[in-house]
Amino acid sequence: MASPQASVYVISGVVRTARGRPVADARVYVTRSPVPLPDIAALTNEQGTFAFAVPAAGSYTLACSVEGQATLEVTVTVPTDKGRRVAVEFRLAD
Amino acid sequence: MPARTRVTLPKGMHASVSNLDGEAEAAIQRTKLEAPAEGEGPKPSKGRANGAEDVAGYKLPEMAVAAAAVAPDLSGLCDIGEASFGPAPAPAEATAEIVHGVDDRVRINSTGSYPWRVHASLLITARDGSRWIGTGWFIGPHTLMTAGHVVFIHSPAMPARHGWVRSIQVMPGRNGNQLPYGSVTSSNFRSVVGWTNNGNENYDYGAIILPTNLGNQTGWFGFGVFSDRDLLASVGNISGYPGDKPAGTQWYAARRIASVGPRKVYYDIDTAGGQSGSAVYRIMSGGRYGVAIHAYGGAVNNSGTRITLPVFNNMLNWKK
Repeated sequence: MASPQASVYVISGVVRTARGRPVADARVYVTRSPVPLPDIAALTNEQGTFAFAVPAAGSYTLACSVEGQATLEVTVTVPTDKGRRVAVEFRLAD
Repeated sequence: MPARTRVTLPKGMHASVSNLDGEAEAAIQRTKLEAPAEGEGPKPSKGRANGAEDVAGYKLPEMAVAAAAVAPDLSGLCDIGEASFGPAPAPAEATAEIVHGVDDRVRINSTGSYPWRVHASLLITARDGSRWIGTGWFIGPHTLMTAGHVVFIHSPAMPARHGWVRSIQVMPGRNGNQLPYGSVTSSNFRSVVGWTNNGNENYDYGAIILPTNLGNQTGWFGFGVFSDRDLLASVGNISGYPGDKPAGTQWYAARRIASVGPRKVYYDIDTAGGQSGSAVYRIMSGGRYGVAIHAYGGAVNNSGTRITLPVFNNMLNWKK
């Protein structure tokens, strides 16, 4: 009855200020996905980057929360093929 | 004192594993209900009669009271969560959302008091140096329960990240920048073969072992194995550290348990990324008892790993 949730696709991205500077410690998490996902959130590193491994192709909505900023959302489509990697960028308002 | 029965340590998929080699396990003699401890300080609230915590401004959403029907025989059927997995993509309308409808979570500010200080904000550093946030809860003086994917990241697509995390900074009762019980870092974790080897969500649970007995100050929750009937008649409570709220703040919500499977519990309790590992607990005679470990956001309901007998036995062993 085992049904492994093998994470075979990758969504990676970066969080930047309006002027293009990387934002560290931004919280990035999935709010919509084609399958249930672990309820964990990533923190961006000093380069502002993050990466999620996901188990299925389809539409994902990622959100980004930073103190003093409105939460941003972006929806991406993970294809079933073609490198299996999708890149996103969050650009803060200031 | 209740009669103690000998318990067989789980094997197979529930075989306990540690990131530390040479861990020896001994047979233990326990009951199926493990009591909570309230730690230092004044007596806490016993919660409300409806099974929810007594939180100012929070009202348990009205729900139709389910008839006390006996759950049908589910043996031979796949777990409802497994219907979402597999090579075929899910139908477009069946997208998973973790906050369902109106968000009725309320912020907890009295995080220095029991029961709120039992919940800990976790800062996780993975093998590849990436950082994540999650939630854990004390079950003993030096043991916190959390999701398996908090202590062991199962991610074959990212080999540098796949495996036991490097360390977890544990911050009990955190309230934004306030750490009423400080923080302690652990690199001593537990999970089970079903999660570490197979990445099977039905075995997605684990523990953090602290180098100190900080739990003697915070207190801890009890936990138990409950029947389908008991769970379906219960209100599930969740408090944790979601990433969609101000950093390090604790948020609470509750709902009646929606459905159960052999190894999972499903509920329409709002959560967000960062709440992985939270206790799903019920209040019985003023005591808090974990019934599941929150792990996944789903299309209609969120879900947690049910505390079944093998899970219970592992938890007893891990809190020694």
